[in-house]
Amino acid sequence: MARIRFQSVTKRYANGATAVAGLDLDIADQEFLVLLGPSGCGKSTTLNMIAGLEEISEGALLFDDRTMNNVPAHRRDVAMVFQSYALYPHKSVFENIAFGLRMRRVPEPELRRRVMDAAAKLEIAHLLERRPSQLSGGQRQRVALGRAMVREPSVFLMDEPLSNLDASLRISMRAQIRHLHAQMHSTFVYVTHDQAEALTLADRIVVMRDGTIQQIGSPDDIYERPANLFVASFLGSPAINLLEGALETIGGTLCFRRGALTVPLPACFRGDAREVVLGLRPEDVGPATSEAAQIHGVVDTAMPAGSDQFLGVAVEGAMLFLRVPKDVRVREGEPIGFGLTESRLHLFDRTTGRSLRRAA
Amino acid sequence: MRAVTHDERAAAGLLAGLVAVLMAVTAFPILYSLWISLFAVNLRRPNRMPFVGLDNYIAVLSSPAFWGSVGRTALFSALAVAAILVIATLVALLLDQEFPGRRILSACLLIPWAIPSVVNGLMWKWIYDSNYGALNGLLLQLGFIGSATIWLGDSNRTLPLIANAFIWKEVPLAAILLLVTLKSIPADLYGAAAVDGAPAWRRFFAITLPALRPGFLLVTLYEAMMAVRHFDLFFLLTEGGPGGASDVVAWRIYVETFRNLSFGTGAAMSYILAIATLLMSYALIRGMARTL
Ligand SMILES: Nc1ncnc2c1ncn2[C@@H]1O[C@H](COP(=O)(O)OP(=O)(O)O)[C@@H](O)[C@H]1O
Ligand SMILES: [Mg+2]
Repeated sequence: MARIRFQSVTKRYANGATAVAGLDLDIADQEFLVLLGPSGCGKSTTLNMIAGLEEISEGALLFDDRTMNNVPAHRRDVAMVFQSYALYPHKSVFENIAFGLRMRRVPEPELRRRVMDAAAKLEIAHLLERRPSQLSGGQRQRVALGRAMVREPSVFLMDEPLSNLDASLRISMRAQIRHLHAQMHSTFVYVTHDQAEALTLADRIVVMRDGTIQQIGSPDDIYERPANLFVASFLGSPAINLLEGALETIGGTLCFRRGALTVPLPACFRGDAREVVLGLRPEDVGPATSEAAQIHGVVDTAMPAGSDQFLGVAVEGAMLFLRVPKDVRVREGEPIGFGLTESRLHLFDRTTGRSLRRAA
Repeated sequence: MRAVTHDERAAAGLLAGLVAVLMAVTAFPILYSLWISLFAVNLRRPNRMPFVGLDNYIAVLSSPAFWGSVGRTALFSALAVAAILVIATLVALLLDQEFPGRRILSACLLIPWAIPSVVNGLMWKWIYDSNYGALNGLLLQLGFIGSATIWLGDSNRTLPLIANAFIWKEVPLAAILLLVTLKSIPADLYGAAAVDGAPAWRRFFAITLPALRPGFLLVTLYEAMMAVRHFDLFFLLTEGGPGGASDVVAWRIYVETFRNLSFGTGAAMSYILAIATLLMSYALIRGMARTL
């Protein structure tokens, strides 16, 4: 059982680099929280501070109501899966998994039972006598998971645990990790730079950049109501289309204007900026109907992508990437029109990058 | 049979010169001393050089004095290697820490290694000297001893004191070999063990020591070979004395060959030492291969 709280936590490394600045974060007990952001944004540093592997320069870290700043790693009830797996090279798989239990003086019969249980769940029971060097990447990853699992820790940390696996294994391991979370009564903090992984796994996502939090929210919040341009463009693949333009009120309605393009905006947006950026996800366009706002352009490229096709559409000097069903007949060089769903539009202040969506 | 390619022929041509030089400077002396060891060569009677087969070897191996020097060589080597392992490990662990002045300290620690062996010997001769030596000077001034001690004159102290001078010179290289091994341990391993609940000393035994094993074996192998064959310090400091207390095999070979001018037995002794060194190294390498 552990609720984890960061209170204005800053981490400066010995060389003076500030890896995390003024972090405030409240992680609920047994939550699955994902730290998401590009490489170097401070995710691992944040995780290592929870584990006790990095000292906290300023601020406080609390587990429930206990300040943890000065509690050494080996006294925190934390288990961690490292990106490198960090298996003990001189120990067998069995001893790797058992090590944490031995350190806690778990009696031998119970230790054996717990190691065997974990090994069975992870389907590595037949590998227990091997050395880590005799395992494949996927098997090592399972051993690393097993080593953390058997501990039944109150805090379960994972630092990009799937990033060294091949794509298909990565997808199937996501399900296993979700399953693990459901079975255990631990608080999960999971680090990744893979937005798809974050969206599938998380109860809540924390998007980070340059050591600061950009947005905290459910996967839906983050994807559908990004707080700023960075979050909007970090999530989604292919990336969101961003169109620069200006705001104008036409006939009492707030409109986005760019050249000949006018998009009436829903009431959920504030009009207190002039220079703005309109965000449109590739999948958020439909057939042009008379009711909906529309966008017109010229098809530049059409690329089939399995069930769908991707279109590059030139609109007012910008190129939009859109995903449309395969049965939409298009020809390169021909004009095309789409209907927009108002609720799917995103609007940002061009100077600050912040979303202009009103607080719900 | 596979045809010899043009490249291979060119390579053989290029290598031939090098191989010839190597043969001349290494293989020839080695084979020639093997040849000599089968004759009764004594420069005091240079014209008579009868073939004696293995008699020289039998004479050496049945001589109690030879076995006495083997014992002293073993004692000296065991002392030296054990101390080098312990001290070099401590030095390597120290240099693996981050602290201000680490670079300067590492550079200073290399000095003994950079000093030529003979200079090292002369320096220790001066340190141990009973009249004007630095060791007596230091201990007298600190009041640990009342009067000057003849350090190398005490047959119980001679081997440990020579070993000390040897250790001083050998620790830097050993420490660097171990430091390289330490640096190759991924930091995540320590993180994993800490998170698993292991305090610092447990992490040392669970991760550092096993990782150092190949380094230990390498240092043991190298230093044992150096110690068993070591000559310079025995020559410079004690000449085998006092009363044979530092009469090790390498010294005995020198005496037999260049003082007694008995080249045959000297060569036989050299061969015995070389073969013993080879067997020891082989055993250590086998041990190394098994534990890696
Ligand atoms: N041991 C360290 N010493 C100095 N700077 C570091 C150290 N570890 C990480 N950093 C810096 O801190 C920042 C955050 O690093 P990290 O937390 O590893 O990022 P992430 O895990 O998000 O990729 C980076 O700019 C990185 O260069
Ligand atoms: Mg990282």
